[in-house]
Amino acid sequence: MNKLQTLALALMSTPVLLMSACSKNNDNTVAPAATIKTNTVADLDGSKGAVYYSLAGNSVVTGADTTGTKWDIKFSGTGIFVNGGSSGTGTAQAQVVSSTFADLTTAPTSGYKADATGAAAITGWYTYTATTAPQHAILMVPGKIIVVKTSAGNYAKIEMKSYYKGNPDTTTPAFADLTTRPASRFYTFRYSYQANGTTSLQ
Amino acid sequence: MNKKIVYVLLLLSARVSAQQIDTAVTDTGKVKKLKEVIVTATRSAKELMSVPMPVSTISNKEIKNRGLVRLDEVLNEQTGLSVLPDAHGQGIQVQGFAPDYTMIMLDGMPVIGRTTGILDLTRITTNGVDRIEVVKGPVSSLYGSEAMAGVVNLISARPPLGFSSSVAARYGTNKNADLNFNAAYATDKLSVSGFVNRNSTGGYSLVPGSGSPTVSPYHGYTVNGRITYKLNANTDLLLLIRNYTNTTTNNYSVDSGQVAGKGFESNFSISPSVTRRFSEKLTGQLRLYRSTYRTTSLLNYTATNAIYDDTYFNQAFNRAEVQGDYQAYAKLRLTSGAGGQYETVDATRYDTRQSFTSGYAYMQGDWTPFKKLNLIAGGRFDAHSVYLSQFSPKLALSYRLSDNFVVLGSTGKGYKAPDFRQLYLNFTNAVVGYSVFGYEEVAAQIAKLQQQGQIQTILIDPSTLRPLNAESSTGYNLGYRYRPVKSFMWTVNFFRNNIRDLIDAEAIAIKTNGQSVYSYFNIHSVYTQGAETDLSYHFLTHWTLAGGYQYLQAYDNKVLHQIKAGQVFGIDPKIRETVKVTRQMYGGLLNRSKNMANARISYQDDKTGIVASVRAIYRGRYGFSDLDGNGIVNRDDEYVKGYVLFNASVSKLFYHNQFRFQLTGENLGDYKQPLTISNLPGRLLYVGFTYNFSKQ
Repeated sequence: MNKLQTLALALMSTPVLLMSACSKNNDNTVAPAATIKTNTVADLDGSKGAVYYSLAGNSVVTGADTTGTKWDIKFSGTGIFVNGGSSGTGTAQAQVVSSTFADLTTAPTSGYKADATGAAAITGWYTYTATTAPQHAILMVPGKIIVVKTSAGNYAKIEMKSYYKGNPDTTTPAFADLTTRPASRFYTFRYSYQANGTTSLQ
Repeated sequence: MNKKIVYVLLLLSARVSAQQIDTAVTDTGKVKKLKEVIVTATRSAKELMSVPMPVSTISNKEIKNRGLVRLDEVLNEQTGLSVLPDAHGQGIQVQGFAPDYTMIMLDGMPVIGRTTGILDLTRITTNGVDRIEVVKGPVSSLYGSEAMAGVVNLISARPPLGFSSSVAARYGTNKNADLNFNAAYATDKLSVSGFVNRNSTGGYSLVPGSGSPTVSPYHGYTVNGRITYKLNANTDLLLLIRNYTNTTTNNYSVDSGQVAGKGFESNFSISPSVTRRFSEKLTGQLRLYRSTYRTTSLLNYTATNAIYDDTYFNQAFNRAEVQGDYQAYAKLRLTSGAGGQYETVDATRYDTRQSFTSGYAYMQGDWTPFKKLNLIAGGRFDAHSVYLSQFSPKLALSYRLSDNFVVLGSTGKGYKAPDFRQLYLNFTNAVVGYSVFGYEEVAAQIAKLQQQGQIQTILIDPSTLRPLNAESSTGYNLGYRYRPVKSFMWTVNFFRNNIRDLIDAEAIAIKTNGQSVYSYFNIHSVYTQGAETDLSYHFLTHWTLAGGYQYLQAYDNKVLHQIKAGQVFGIDPKIRETVKVTRQMYGGLLNRSKNMANARISYQDDKTGIVASVRAIYRGRYGFSDLDGNGIVNRDDEYVKGYVLFNASVSKLFYHNQFRFQLTGENLGDYKQPLTISNLPGRLLYVGFTYNFSKQ
């Protein structure tokens, strides 16, 4: 009898041990040494209208150049467009890949699209909160890495970080309050541009 | 055997135990009490120690001693149960199930009236109960839909012989008031008892200056009647009637201004039944039940008196049921029953009055092949006019390793029928422009919108929709009860629930205005598992020390698969960059605390008439919201911090226990989290008294 009791106790306590013994898998992936540069662009001002950007030159493109092929991507409100198809005179294409920025070490060889009317190549990188808190905000969707094949035939990866001036913490009461929320259409993002024409993005 | 018979047995055998309407204060250490029985787990009276399922009871005396008056207050102090704050009321979480999946019953009949699935427990007074029974794990094998996580059953008190009456009141913080008047008359043949309860609050605001109270002022009345009559030696009649009404005074601010108005809620139920012992072995019962639940709400703009919102909801539930209990021989008892139900609902958001018809039959065998082993097997079949038929089997067994150590294991299927909303909702948000249609409505409504040219894209062709299935689960419970000495009890239970076909809304089409059309689908599959333990120890005549703990895991299977495939991402709150979500980061389903615990010390001295207790209730941190756009909990700032509530009460009894004076404090530490926990208004202090007109 006592043996049985001990056995029952032992059997029943086993699941507790199993449940509490969380396995400690370390998912630390060692970042490979970067051979191409990662640029961070902070507060690119699109508040006064569309802003054009050259990934190759890491600079804003203005004036007459906005009708040519000097720019690669254009920010306009919540839209990001590539220089091609319905958006420009170039041949740039893009797609959105589910990954972290670091994990995306090679650009996909296929799957790119040019912008078409009503069907932009770059979608799904943000979510509009509507009436859930913080209300009426544009928040980044995690894991949406934009890969651009520029008119020059080079690849770049882009991670959007913020739609608001100063890349604010969107979880604070100050952000939730529409009267104290920083100005919108200020884009913060980081990107890596591979100038040698290969698909390597590391 | 059934409940009615239990009452009769108690009546015959237990005049000594003197269960008064109110303050029964007898020292458990001295007076020999009847063995505790449970009726809810098997639909027949069974001694607590031998019930092969996780069950617990809370006695009227214990509720009174703690100074608690509403069901939410009582359940929140029980191990493994947590009362969740929600805009639609205070619901109960059992074994990690949302409030929708626990059936709440009054004397074995389901309480109706759920708003978006939640039955508000503050509606229910604990006045007039003899005890509350809680059964965990699926019991659909006996009770059908909703009894998926478990059942909470309030058993009404049987009056003592002669005239008796009492008044009781509790008043305190936030103008919270609870008043009772109870009266009863009983002879050997007839008993008539009833009470009136008034419960009110001045409400409270956790965010002053917001223009909106967190809880609006309300007052509610419960009028309850109970009549039993012994027609002859073998036939008993029982009539239960209850009416609850509540009026809420709303006054709050919306985007377009300040709105005000009244909200009314009412719940009426009546249940006559007859029980007859046909022979020593066979007992039969016929029971009828009708319950109606109504709400109306009218809100006008304070400035212009224009109507802001005008809604109503009317639900009716009718049931007729027969049950037979047959003691085939000493070791085998058979219980079986059959019934029919007719339900209707009409509401602002439904096109027309909708109705359900359903029928069911159940059977259960309770077999004790030899003294140590008890086996219960049963099942229930539910046929329904709208959704697929359900069969819910159950198997449970207990084995007495010794007189004071019982091992129990059970498995069973539970289900919850799609509700009226999921079937018939026809709602379009006037401001934003999205639409939600129930499964039965969606095809016709989409065709209508298409004709009107309002549909841009169809995402899922309505003609390909599979019939909406009931949500269902398979539960497993394994544990033991250990009572080495009379004053010490230790229970342990491990549980696992595999839940499938959970219903959720998903976009079915996109409108030309860019908004979506949603309908309901069987989408999620989740599981909950964990362990629960309870200890109680009675010592030094007057003292009791008790404690409980629950460990819980609750995960969505689809999310687990996606994480395994490396397809779930989050945003690091510091650097605002995408990171991959690992299994360790995933916090599981919202609102589930991994750790919950409680502790209690109580003192009772009949000589001095002093009764006191201090209780601590710990709720570990739980996932509250998604902040990084992946729809799951994976960051520390997506949790509500864990907290401890301290409740205490002290009473003094005078004049041969006829008068009780009581002080009660809830949340003595004044813990608040205004933005995340709406049902913690801070410290609540109450003063209360009870007076029994008759001597005890």
